[in-house]
Amino acid sequence: MVLLSAPRWLRSRLTDRFWRVQEVLKYARHFRGRKNRCYKLAVGSVRRAFVRSTKARREKKRFLRALWITRIEAASLEHGLKYPAFISNLLKSQVELNRKVIADLAIYEPKTFKSLAALAQRRRQEGFLAALGDGKEPEGIFSRMVRHY
Amino acid sequence: VAKTSLTSPPWPEVKLPDPVEEAKYHAEVVQKVNQLIAEGHYGRLFAVVHFASKQWKVTSEDLIMMDNALEAECGDRIRMEKVLLVGADDFTLIGRPILGKDLVRVEATVIEKTESWPKINMRFWRRHNYQRKKIIVTPQTVLRINSIEIFPCLS
Repeated sequence: MVLLSAPRWLRSRLTDRFWRVQEVLKYARHFRGRKNRCYKLAVGSVRRAFVRSTKARREKKRFLRALWITRIEAASLEHGLKYPAFISNLLKSQVELNRKVIADLAIYEPKTFKSLAALAQRRRQEGFLAALGDGKEPEGIFSRMVRHY
Repeated sequence: VAKTSLTSPPWPEVKLPDPVEEAKYHAEVVQKVNQLIAEGHYGRLFAVVHFASKQWKVTSEDLIMMDNALEAECGDRIRMEKVLLVGADDFTLIGRPILGKDLVRVEATVIEKTESWPKINMRFWRRHNYQRKKIIVTPQTVLRINSIEIFPCLS
């Protein structure tokens, strides 16, 4: 005989509640206060922690780039150059090192950084000379002051 | 004529050294560096290599980990071709932008190909009943730089 509906003494009970709770609490074990023990408080904290870590992964790139730029600026000021002058002249001399590597060189290889600063300075002076030109006035101008009488 | 504030321009005058003498000096320096390289009077070499769309400052016997999968098997030797800078204690060779392949040789071996730890991407808008959780596992490769060699072919 086939029973079409289940009898009342057959219940489906949750048996792995412990492991479901541990899945969340394992990410909260290093938190401070009751959030590391009580599930209800931990759920919200763990969720916020995940969201913050996702956003921080994008901001980390910006933060590190700003840090490298600060370090390169400090190192180039020791050699008498400002950061925009240093970077622009390095790029104009076709040296394509990125800021991370230049910051590492400034920390661990001071002689190499000094040679890069000298290269940038020389390129800067050549740029000034090229912009100034011969120092003569352009043709076609016969006088500065035209007097009308 | 008396000197006023406008006789000379306000920027400092820039004088470059004599080109002929400079060329002689450059040739001398290049020849000295060539001699140093040929005789091997350098200690540990470091190089800046462009690999996997990133630049790495690399010496011999150090490990590099990249967040992607290479097509090489574990134990394969790899030669890195885009070298931007090579330096030793007394001299540096700066490439514009890269150095020639007949000048530097950077060899590496693939040691490990694993996956990263599971990173969790979560988005949550409060009061809107919206949350998405995604676990991202990226492949990683570990290389060991075996050696950096330079050859005396400067000109």
